[in-house]
Amino acid sequence: MARKLNLKKHLNSKTLGQLFFIAVVTLPVLSGLVYATLYSLGFVGVLNKGFTTENWEAIFFGSPFWTSILFSFYVAVTSIVLSLVFSLSMALSWKKALQKGALSTAMYLPLCFPGTVMAFFMFQLLSKSGFLSRLGFTAGILSELNQFPALINDAYGIGIIITSVVLITPFFVILFSNMYRSENIANYKQLASTFGATKLQLLTKVTLPILLKKSSVTIYLFVIFVMGSYEIPLLLGRQSPQMISVAILQKIQRFNLYDIPKGFAMSILYVLIIISVLLLLYFRNRDFFKTETNA
Amino acid sequence: MIKKLLQYGFIVSIGFPVAFLLMLSLGRRWAYPNVLPEQMNFANWEFLQRSDSKLFQAFFVSLGISLCVAIFTTSIGFLISKLIAYSKNRNFYLVLAYIPYLLSPVIMAVIFQYYFIITGLTGTFLGVIIAQFLVAFPFGIIIYINFWNPQLKSIEELSYTLGGSRWQTFKKVLLPLSKNAIMLCFFQVFLISWFEYGLTNLIGSGKVRTLTVSVFNFVTEANIFYAALSCCLLILPPMLLLYINKRLIFFVEKTKIEP
Repeated sequence: MARKLNLKKHLNSKTLGQLFFIAVVTLPVLSGLVYATLYSLGFVGVLNKGFTTENWEAIFFGSPFWTSILFSFYVAVTSIVLSLVFSLSMALSWKKALQKGALSTAMYLPLCFPGTVMAFFMFQLLSKSGFLSRLGFTAGILSELNQFPALINDAYGIGIIITSVVLITPFFVILFSNMYRSENIANYKQLASTFGATKLQLLTKVTLPILLKKSSVTIYLFVIFVMGSYEIPLLLGRQSPQMISVAILQKIQRFNLYDIPKGFAMSILYVLIIISVLLLLYFRNRDFFKTETNA
Repeated sequence: MIKKLLQYGFIVSIGFPVAFLLMLSLGRRWAYPNVLPEQMNFANWEFLQRSDSKLFQAFFVSLGISLCVAIFTTSIGFLISKLIAYSKNRNFYLVLAYIPYLLSPVIMAVIFQYYFIITGLTGTFLGVIIAQFLVAFPFGIIIYINFWNPQLKSIEELSYTLGGSRWQTFKKVLLPLSKNAIMLCFFQVFLISWFEYGLTNLIGSGKVRTLTVSVFNFVTEANIFYAALSCCLLILPPMLLLYINKRLIFFVEKTKIEP
């Protein structure tokens, strides 16, 4: 009887724990989405007068939302591709130095930099009146401030991309360096070379496919993280085009109250896009969500 | 030789931002085209030591918020992640945990801000802690999830077989084996909270002035020297962590944490 009661108590604590998890993880997003939907459809809100699809039509058929999404996607993909090129080059050519010595520790240093700090540093370095421009002027390369190229607050998001690359590259260098060892790539390479593989073949048929396949989900997740980044584009971006987080926040925080429902509509659409991408990732990479526990 | 030179050049370039920010934090007046500020002294750092200085207060507000979020997430996440990891619906729960993890924290804040307004939590220390917890908790679960493996489960069951109670098994078996996982979760969550700006600014309505909020405020006021000083304070704890154990500042999904 006592055992039965104990089991019941155990089951209850299990259920309660799982309910707590579901509540903390889903309630804020779901309840928030409900309010945002009601607001964007005109049911609630100070200036709303009743049901309207006006805000959704403006977001769906207008260009600001899609421009922001495309610009965010372009910045994220460019940043990740550049980071992968740099990090793979470093991880594969500095294998020994990355395991021991100063470089193995120095590589972790950029991970200490939050986006806010790196964005501020880049602003002071790359802006027209920044450190590089001053060096150029002192060295006689520039004769006036405006000759320095626009790398900050520019239309192509160059400053945002450079900052993201500087922040992400060390992470991927460490990841690939660790993976190279844990996946025993050296052994596979040795095996392939005994079968007569050339250096280029070793790289393109053995090393790169293993590293990129193993890290594919992490790479996709990073694309999503960079797309949603806020601090870096807030400091280094410009009014148009804007990255999606900055665009949504500006609509929500503007003095024009008529923009708030549009901001909510944009945030709902963005959340739905992210959830769809996550589900796609889940169905295409089920192994990523498995561990030894339920393998 | 070229390889070595490139490596040294890379190490110097990695250290350059720290040196540059330190230099700016010591500066006053930096007219174009001067390469260095016209005045360099410790006046900004001395101002920081005054207990009524905004930066001094911001440092401790940030520290308080980050410690609270890290302690709550690490302890609650530890207990809940075990239930999730051993659950039949584990994969479903994990996908759920990835939703807030992937959403930008500031977008999360936009979505649930209304509920913080009606409960009077906006602009409060507690409100910011709760909002950050909602973002950090799923991340904590993702960190812990791979720690609960069949090997650990069999050790736990062995303890029960040998007559250990639930409390004894938790205290004498699970906790000592979980040291690495707990430390990783604590420091990762601490850093997430320490680095957070968008969500903190929105839920804190500018009243909860953390270090990241201060950086943006100083940038808006065009006070780059205090902004640089705030940046130096922001990178101080992670650098300290790097000195203690560099592995604590690196986390990638699916990390296998050895007991």
